[in-house]
Amino acid sequence: MTDKSPVIKVEHLQKSFGNNKVLKDINAEVNEGQVICLIGPSGAGKSTFLRCLNLLDQPSSGKVIFENKELTALSEDQLDQLREKMGMVFQQFNLFPHMSIIENIKLAPMKVKGMSSKDAEAKGLELLRQVGLEDKADAFPASLSGGQQQRVAIARALAMDPEVMLFDEPTSALDPEMVGEVLKVMQDLAQKGMTMVVVTHEMGFAKNVADEVWFMADGYIQEKAAPQQFFTQPQTQRAQDFLARVLEA
Amino acid sequence: MKKAWRLIEALLVTVLMLTIVPQKTSAADKQEARTDNYLRNVKRKGELVMGTSPDFPPYEFVKNVNGKSKVVGMDIEVGKKVARDMGVKLVVRTMDFDSLLVALETGKVDMVISGMDATPKRAQSVDFSRAYYKSGQNLLIRTEDQDKYHDYKSFAGKAIGAQTGSMQATLIKQQAKKSKLKTMDKDNDLVLGLKTHKFDAVAVDKATAEAFAKNTSGIMVIPSGFKVDSAGSAIAFHKGAKSLVKQANKSIAEIKQKDLINQKYLPKAGKYLAGGKSKKENKASNSMWAYKDFFIAGVGYTLFISAISVFFGFLLGAILAFMRLGRNQIARSVATAYIEFVRGTPLMVQLLFIYFGLGLIINIPALLSGIIAVSLNSAAYVAEVIRSGISSIAVGQTEASRSLGLSRTATMRYVIMPQAMKNIWPALGNEFVSLIKESSIVSVIGVKDLIYQSRIVQADTYRGVMPLVITMILYFIITFGLSSLMKVFERKMNHD
Repeated sequence: MTDKSPVIKVEHLQKSFGNNKVLKDINAEVNEGQVICLIGPSGAGKSTFLRCLNLLDQPSSGKVIFENKELTALSEDQLDQLREKMGMVFQQFNLFPHMSIIENIKLAPMKVKGMSSKDAEAKGLELLRQVGLEDKADAFPASLSGGQQQRVAIARALAMDPEVMLFDEPTSALDPEMVGEVLKVMQDLAQKGMTMVVVTHEMGFAKNVADEVWFMADGYIQEKAAPQQFFTQPQTQRAQDFLARVLEA
Repeated sequence: MKKAWRLIEALLVTVLMLTIVPQKTSAADKQEARTDNYLRNVKRKGELVMGTSPDFPPYEFVKNVNGKSKVVGMDIEVGKKVARDMGVKLVVRTMDFDSLLVALETGKVDMVISGMDATPKRAQSVDFSRAYYKSGQNLLIRTEDQDKYHDYKSFAGKAIGAQTGSMQATLIKQQAKKSKLKTMDKDNDLVLGLKTHKFDAVAVDKATAEAFAKNTSGIMVIPSGFKVDSAGSAIAFHKGAKSLVKQANKSIAEIKQKDLINQKYLPKAGKYLAGGKSKKENKASNSMWAYKDFFIAGVGYTLFISAISVFFGFLLGAILAFMRLGRNQIARSVATAYIEFVRGTPLMVQLLFIYFGLGLIINIPALLSGIIAVSLNSAAYVAEVIRSGISSIAVGQTEASRSLGLSRTATMRYVIMPQAMKNIWPALGNEFVSLIKESSIVSVIGVKDLIYQSRIVQADTYRGVMPLVITMILYFIITFGLSSLMKVFERKMNHD
């Protein structure tokens, strides 16, 4: 698993918003088939880091290498081509409210890959079946629960056959009873071998599904470890404090 | 950084303004240089363009002749005579009295005949012919007040009305110092103001006063008592157009020698005023129905101007909105500067600037000037409507779309615009409604829109209020029709 070249490599990544240095010096690698869970206190820069991976946020300095290409050096067109290979799921789902569920899923395959409407529809329905929502194909996002919307958002990202899936706190905006259904879909995905980077506060998910847990605080990755080791023997003081607070709650 | 761009925007606006000024002087210099080509140019064109403000019977006024509006009156006859003596055709161009001298300076017209007195002040900016007619000054008052007032001295502490920029306004200011001066653009409005007690007298030229008194019930003429040292009404030409002045003076000499004004021109104008009918018939023709063609033509022009301006205003507005939302710093600054400048200046000034100001460089006809001004003005407002509609869409929509690999353009087209339109549409409807209403400003430069036509009907029928009521109703029908139409589409969009 680790002897191949990494899917994503990050070198000396820095990101500032005005005078606020959010990411100070990030170095990391994600290998094929790996599931990474990013955890840490809020304000640690987890989401910013994730958004720098597909350049939704432009890094202030440093390199992001995906498929052996340095993303910050690419033109907008080249970037569009690579972005489609990195599916992203957002905290707020961000479904397109003016389109039905199936149209949400069909849009990118048709407009970006030039897939026919019929093929895109077949693919969309298959993905909806996988996330358990094939009966909602013609519904509009507003009529779906949060958990259902998030499952559609995952299906929409998968429709582009991405090589990596980025999850930005996918369950944080959900009512507690809906968290499970979304995590289940993500777990299924991980089992199929999808490379995933997940920003999450779901410690159970991190413990059971992740191959590696990255603990972020103060703009640095403080600790990288297998979940078993991280949750039982955290090395840094910051991680110990964090876990004490989280597990207590 | 932001401050720096603010500064650049301000600079852009300044540069925009300054570029106009040198062109103006150079154009004026050129005209000065070919002083004596004026007459030759007119002869080459084959037409002599006369500017006049046709609300001044019997000098010049608009008459419904066989269902068509026609400018007639004594001054028109004088103009025809001058043109005929030059061997060219007379073309009459109408506009507000205030705009006449500007039109002359900017070459929109070759001469101005509009009951205009050759005052020394005016003579500083134009060259006058000899006077062709000398009239007296009178006051119009309400008949019921005839025992109270005798001349201007009776109006101490009271208000007297006069036309804006007219000689009468100056006379009131200088001689009737104890009275208050109220000015209005149109003589019809002045007479209406008198009848509705806005003021107690109107100072007008003698011939005009008599025409109004004859055709309007409840008002009468009294002597003004003003001391006038006017040389009388004369023809105004561009400063330095000596060849035209010389030629016109020849015609005027003949007019005076044969007493053409009193013998021919005034009687002919009087015939138009009376309509060549008995008083009873005359009254019948004053019913608004007889003027339906005027209103129809006015609605036509207003719709035409509005429709074209809505189209180009929307097109340009959309371009400006995308410039302002785009990443190109220069385009963004240009769009911002344009929008702020246009929204920060009155449409009236923009219109006059395009018609007269740009007229120094290229001659744009009034109708086209009106359409350009209204379109350019509307574009700034439309741009803001579109921009705020787009900005109101949550940034997550763009991020979701971009993360799927959709380009910036595809994101705008498939994700943002369809949602933004729902916000933009109602605001756009409001903007179009106000465009229709504001297009009425084009009447100032003589575009024959609904307002202009209602002015003509007012002047023609000596009825002040009724044409206004009809105009109001017509505007309402148009704007209400449009907003209803927009609502139908809005509902359709929300159902989708």
